[in-house]
Amino acid sequence: MSFLKSFLMFLCLMAGLVGTGAAQSDLESLRPLVNALAEGKYKETQKQIGDLAATGNPAVAPALEALGAGELFFRKSDKQVFIAKKAGKGYALSDPLTLEDAGETGRRAVTKIKVNNNLRRVIRSALGSLTLLAPDPKVRMAAAEAVFKAKDPEAIESLEAAIAKEIDDDVRLVMEQARAAAVLNSDGSDGDKLEAIETLASMGNREALSLLIGLRDSSEGEVQQAATRAVNTINKSLALWDNAQNIWYGISLGSVLLLAAIGLAITFGVMGVINMAHGEMVMIGAYVTFVVQELIRSSAPGLFEYSLFIALPLAFLVSGAIGVGIERGVIRWLYGRPLETLLATWGISLILQQAVRSIFGPTNREVGNPDWMSGAFELGQLTITYNRMWIVVFAILVFAGLMLVLKKTSFGLFTRAVTQNRRMAASMGIRTPWIDAMTFGLGSGIAGIAGVALSQIDNVSPNLGQGYIIDSFMVVVFGGVGNLWGTLVGAMTLGVVNKFLEPYAGAVLGKILVLVFIILFIQKRPRGLFALKGRAVEA
Amino acid sequence: MAKSSSLLYLDGVSVSFDGFKALNELSLVIAPGEMRAIIGPNGAGKTTMMDVITGKTRPDSGEVFFDGTVDLTDEDEASIAELGIGRKFQKPTVFESHTIWDNLELALKAPRGPFATLFHVIAGAEKARIEELLELIRLGDKRDELAANLSHGQKQWLEIGMLLAQDPKLLLVDEPAAGMTDAETAETAELLKDIAKSHSVVVVEHDMTFIRALGVKVTCLAEGSVLAEGSLDHVSADERVVEVYLGR
Amino acid sequence: MMTSFLFRALDAKAGVFVAILLAVIVAVPALNLLTPPDSPFHVPTYAVTLMGKYLTYALLALSVDLVWGFCGILSLGHGAFFALGGYAMGMYLMRQIGTRGVYGDPILPDFMVFLNWNELPWYWYGFDMAWFAFLLVLLVPGALAFIFGWFAFRSRVTGVYLSIITQALTYALLLAFFRNDMGFGGNNGLTDFKDILGFDVQANTTRAGLFAASGLALMICFLICRAITRSKLGKVLVAVRDAESRTRFLGYRVENYKLFVWVISAMMAGIAGSLYVPQVGIINPGEFAPANSIEAVIWVAVGGRGTLVGAVIGAVLVNFAKTWFTAALPDVWLFALGALFVIVTLFLPKGIVGTISQGWTAIRQRKLSAAYADGSDEPPNLPPNSPAAPANVTRAAPSSGAEPQPAE
Repeated sequence: MSFLKSFLMFLCLMAGLVGTGAAQSDLESLRPLVNALAEGKYKETQKQIGDLAATGNPAVAPALEALGAGELFFRKSDKQVFIAKKAGKGYALSDPLTLEDAGETGRRAVTKIKVNNNLRRVIRSALGSLTLLAPDPKVRMAAAEAVFKAKDPEAIESLEAAIAKEIDDDVRLVMEQARAAAVLNSDGSDGDKLEAIETLASMGNREALSLLIGLRDSSEGEVQQAATRAVNTINKSLALWDNAQNIWYGISLGSVLLLAAIGLAITFGVMGVINMAHGEMVMIGAYVTFVVQELIRSSAPGLFEYSLFIALPLAFLVSGAIGVGIERGVIRWLYGRPLETLLATWGISLILQQAVRSIFGPTNREVGNPDWMSGAFELGQLTITYNRMWIVVFAILVFAGLMLVLKKTSFGLFTRAVTQNRRMAASMGIRTPWIDAMTFGLGSGIAGIAGVALSQIDNVSPNLGQGYIIDSFMVVVFGGVGNLWGTLVGAMTLGVVNKFLEPYAGAVLGKILVLVFIILFIQKRPRGLFALKGRAVEA
Repeated sequence: MAKSSSLLYLDGVSVSFDGFKALNELSLVIAPGEMRAIIGPNGAGKTTMMDVITGKTRPDSGEVFFDGTVDLTDEDEASIAELGIGRKFQKPTVFESHTIWDNLELALKAPRGPFATLFHVIAGAEKARIEELLELIRLGDKRDELAANLSHGQKQWLEIGMLLAQDPKLLLVDEPAAGMTDAETAETAELLKDIAKSHSVVVVEHDMTFIRALGVKVTCLAEGSVLAEGSLDHVSADERVVEVYLGR
Repeated sequence: MMTSFLFRALDAKAGVFVAILLAVIVAVPALNLLTPPDSPFHVPTYAVTLMGKYLTYALLALSVDLVWGFCGILSLGHGAFFALGGYAMGMYLMRQIGTRGVYGDPILPDFMVFLNWNELPWYWYGFDMAWFAFLLVLLVPGALAFIFGWFAFRSRVTGVYLSIITQALTYALLLAFFRNDMGFGGNNGLTDFKDILGFDVQANTTRAGLFAASGLALMICFLICRAITRSKLGKVLVAVRDAESRTRFLGYRVENYKLFVWVISAMMAGIAGSLYVPQVGIINPGEFAPANSIEAVIWVAVGGRGTLVGAVIGAVLVNFAKTWFTAALPDVWLFALGALFVIVTLFLPKGIVGTISQGWTAIRQRKLSAAYADGSDEPPNLPPNSPAAPANVTRAAPSSGAEPQPAE
């Protein structure tokens, strides 16, 4: 209960602050009402409290709060009312309305305004209704939520008064729910309670569920039946939300996998090059982000919010350039020998890791989240963090962009031509080595921008890429090599399956199960989900 | 011809790849001891037909029977080869890092299990047979050379030798004369005719001179089914064959 | 039949190798045990253990070469079989500790007491008996290889796909063995061993004995590999490597051949692991790391795939270099290893042994042709090239030259 009090107090302060400028002149009109508290017995005091509450002005809340806490005094000399706190031998006084400091005074110069338990209750409900009537809808909403948590039957009246006046639908809904919670806690009639159960059942969240479970276990007869029904309904809807939550987590994981795998879908899927250094391209993208942020911190802190947008093209260029270098320097000599390519690129991955380790050190580097990447919002019963959401959006954008490049540009046309029939493409005048290098650079560059995104949710260390390489290959192979849509579906399927397994098997075992599942799946369909069939003449 | 008295019996066989019908209700019957030449334009389904017979491709529908009783659609490549169907590929494929001798030894009819081969010791009869085959395919003086070092035509011959070493009942020979000189082509025709005396043979070929040299019944495939069948003269007189394949 | 099978293993070349190996097996322990520490010929114990470790790596490399060099199966998961053999041995060594552990429990290993377990998990039963543990050193990797291979080879997963799923296999095992509730000591693995077969694992004599055992295991496995690869089965394996579907059309059931050689190879890797563990004194999940398996592949590539001897030489050379670098220039080692991968694949595709023997054959052929040209009676009976030297011929087909081949 004291929590509720201090919370309401806080709200009052907030309301007071919000209203400061406009309400300054009103304060003086309230002063006679406050000063009236200095006179009269309990009965009069009760009426005076009612008068204060009836103003609906949150500025009176601190005075009421102090009254309830036994901290409201009046000065004997002029019957002025103050909030007084013990300070040394005397009291520190502050104005009850403006809360400004009003100096100190001796112990005998002031008298406490007395309250009894009955009055304290009156004060409490007055306070509740005051904030429930506050001009700022946010404050009203918070007050209603506080009442919901407290489920204080005393608040029913003020809630009803507030509901009658409320104009904001959302706030009214919460108020009604708070009222229902309070009704269930009161000794009201069964009819009222049944109605309240209805209201809570329609909320469908965990708080309502625990209230209703409490009611189910403590009530009897019709109310108990209704509560049981409501509990079941909520349980069902919560199960649905749980699934939705899992699907969201799955999509989120899936888009991380998609980002990591999509570059590989080009180099491995389209070109048939086994690039074991793919993970390192991702890692380099993440380090580019780190470097960009460091430069911004030291030279232009104002740009920090845009650091990711600056890092994206740079990461694409750096990783892409390294990719082109690898293709020209090593891979092109090994075309048609996939196993050798695998070994050579693994060696390159070792070199790149060690190079990054030598330059930046072996430990994790700090990459900050811009404001728009941090925080979370609620959607129904789901909590969605902004960084996850933006990564999902980003993954889809990258995928769509890549599709556009491959399907709609002449570069994409050349790439497809070269991979389908190299000699024919060459004789049409396409410079096939150039296309090879550019395609490989494209795949590596995309890995680089994936690194920018992953730097927001993962530790940036030289080993960053190692964690993704096996998963990426699994996604590409599972989805069907040479098919970008397969990669999309594969990433999302694996992400969702993983997250659905986790509650039952734990994170590690879930991952193992997924790996085993893929191993078995590849046995069954060696060419993945979306295999391209054809009259492949192999001998 | 009845299924029971045939060596190879295909009826209503269809195969499609992503909507493209490679074989369309193909029916073909080969009698024991028969030699048959198959012609047809590119994409007529000749290679796919061989793939179906040897178990590489499963037909979507239709029957494929060997020896009248064995359903080939239930068997895999290895057991079909064990049943006695040998195949020579369009592109000659021999084991390039083995010697000619080893190529023939691997092909020689013998138990095919891992443990049988692990403890296998080459016997006198096997050596004699390999010598005989080396003679036949005229590679006797190159027996210890790697197959990789052979010319294209020699590889074709080695592959035919390997086919014979398997001692199959039915030989499927895909374009044996491709890449050969005229003289070599004529010799190959003679060789096949020799083989046909003791085996059933199906030859796919584009070279009309070669087909004429064989002098056997001809089947012309087009778009996955049989267009015409009969002697070469009969088939080449057929209007439709002329239109789709031979040209005017 | 059996005798000819074994006899086939030993020809002049193999004889030289076996003789050198035997000399090392005898000399190193002798120089360690029989010479005084201040003698210039003395081999210190740490060096014996280090070389013993190299020999187990050489055996691992041999097992990789058997499947990769001869059958074309590039396994990126052989470290898993190595580690499983190691764990089986580690479990035996743990049970031998008895009451000498920190907690003094006669049955339960320390880590189980630490985790508050009350009884031994069922899969730890029997590991107090040496024969049972040694049997499982073979059977566990063999069984895993059989199950995996049964599925993989029957469904015709080949090439890089197979490589990647073998890597996923060892990765999955890595994750699994990190879990405490797997009952294999989790992150820390198994360590603090005391006795093996009643001998103190720290003693000089035991170390020398383990070195000799590693050398003997290597020699026996080398002879087995040699016998397999020189049999007709070995020829079939090479045929599978070069033209898998052609081999099928000849009537060979390729999956059975692959499975056979795969299981044998996994068992050899298991033996290597089991000899490795008592010498280094620890086995932990890190041995399952995919990087370890790939490193074993590069040993083979450096020495020369498909040569058996090359695998052994490569493993010893690379690991010697690793020991030297990590002591002298630790930061440089990964650069050097990475560069080794690139250089070997680009410039030395046949490895050291393959390149040397190719050069030797070329010289001999030139001499013979010269003799023939000089008018000797008979045409030169050229020695058949080793069937195992693959790279020069697999690249012969011009159509599959240096061009990207889209993955199927």
